[in-house]
Amino acid sequence: MAISESELVRLTADLDEMHRATLPAMHAAAEGWTEQLRSAASDLGSSRTNRRRFLAGGGAALGALALAACGSTGSNKATGNPTPTDRPGNTPLTGDFAVAALAASLEHLAVDTYQAGLDAATAGKLGAVPPAVATFAATAKAQHSDHAAAWNSVLTNAGKAPVTGVDLTVKNGVVDPAFAGVTDVTGLARLALGLENVAAATYLNGIAVMENNNALKIAASIQPVEMQHAAILNFVLGQYPVPDAFAKTDGYRLTSDQIG
Amino acid sequence: MAVERSAVDDRALRDLLEESQDIQSDAMGATREPLAELVELGHERRAGGGFDPVEADQFRVERRRLMRSSLVAGGALAAYGFGGALLRLLETPAFADQALDVQMLQTSASLENLAVATYDTALALPFIGGDGANATVKAFVTTTRGQHADHAKAFNDALTKLGGKLQPGADPVLIDVVNKAKPTLTDAGKVVDLAITLETGATETYQNNVAALADPNAKMVTASIMGVEAQHVAVLLAVQALLKASRPDLINLDPGNVANLPDVAGKVGFPESFQKTDMARAAGEGATK
Repeated sequence: MAISESELVRLTADLDEMHRATLPAMHAAAEGWTEQLRSAASDLGSSRTNRRRFLAGGGAALGALALAACGSTGSNKATGNPTPTDRPGNTPLTGDFAVAALAASLEHLAVDTYQAGLDAATAGKLGAVPPAVATFAATAKAQHSDHAAAWNSVLTNAGKAPVTGVDLTVKNGVVDPAFAGVTDVTGLARLALGLENVAAATYLNGIAVMENNNALKIAASIQPVEMQHAAILNFVLGQYPVPDAFAKTDGYRLTSDQIG
Repeated sequence: MAVERSAVDDRALRDLLEESQDIQSDAMGATREPLAELVELGHERRAGGGFDPVEADQFRVERRRLMRSSLVAGGALAAYGFGGALLRLLETPAFADQALDVQMLQTSASLENLAVATYDTALALPFIGGDGANATVKAFVTTTRGQHADHAKAFNDALTKLGGKLQPGADPVLIDVVNKAKPTLTDAGKVVDLAITLETGATETYQNNVAALADPNAKMVTASIMGVEAQHVAVLLAVQALLKASRPDLINLDPGNVANLPDVAGKVGFPESFQKTDMARAAGEGATK
């Protein structure tokens, strides 16, 4: 049972409206966190030995997303060598602030990818779009937008510039090449699954290295939601929805990723 | 900001514990053994060379909050005055750090043990584990039961590393919930409802604990399990929605079914942008007695 383009547009509009109604509570929670965070802002920029791999490591983990995005037989299309976090006009962030910026950039990338998928569906480029898939994309996109807003409120409340760009290392190395080959909802779901798994892995790794407890709490409140997205995507793809007894850090992203 | 570190006053602690045995025997009956264990752990921890000197104030606040909730849940604050004095001692970092970690891990293990027992109960029901049951639901319950057993072992392994007492039992509060629900489990939907309650409680408990655990290994074990429980919730919510829509035929892993899934299946599994903690269990609820 497919839906028409007009129904798709109406559906996503309804979902967006419903979602906006829940935002005040989220903003209140984020403000509560960031209020505490402001007083501890100096802690966020600190760096310790056990965090060096996450904060300055190489880009070897990118292959996991490429593999997930391109299917089990896909090759690693990652081509870019990660460069130090690049935020034009801003002093490079360090410590937990760098993790927050990385998280915001991954969330923005997820938002953009789901929006591109919805646009492609509306344009009829993905064939028949089941209602559940359209609903999933619209809802997940809105939640990723909330996640990005939470991280940016952390940054702005600490006097830092918000992140408006995406993780270019992942976008250029994996998402764009993979999206060019997406011709149906199954392909889009595979790409989305790869992004969700990378986000969840990045948050899990972040929990291990974050020093500020409020930042850690934000990561801990988002990581389960990303994993829920992944579970439903697996279900939609006909794959077992909870494949692992323990969440993994495979494919986590690094603060050395380029953002823009 | 570094957390202030102060030595535990052993004499005061002993006096206080003796006083508790003399005066508060009824109120403290449920917590005496854990307290003795805490004393022992406090000694071990200090003998081991002290503590990480870098912790944020928020971390201490979080642990204090959980410690208070744990003691209240255990009845330790029943006597006015004594409870406050005990709390101040338990909150001294040299004493409380590992002690609370042990309690949280024991509670986590108790939640996993309860989940295993509950899924075993479900599998004994003909409409879940019988020959005519939905094969996908049966496989999910079987696999999920196994994952919870893995989690229980992981938490107990983490307890072993901290020198804490293993927790082989079930959460003492939620087991009553499960026992009361058993006679009402007359169809798959009711089993799913109960499972959602348990899985959500576990997810949110671990989310709280991740922010409060001091031991890095315990923190990562908990964090790696937290999201998996959330996935169990997502699947159960989707199954619940399909049952309510009278479409149990769509509960399977056939990718061809996606076209027939109702739109609610695309959002019901992740109802919130941020995981909440309103169903989290008290940190010490499942601590060993």
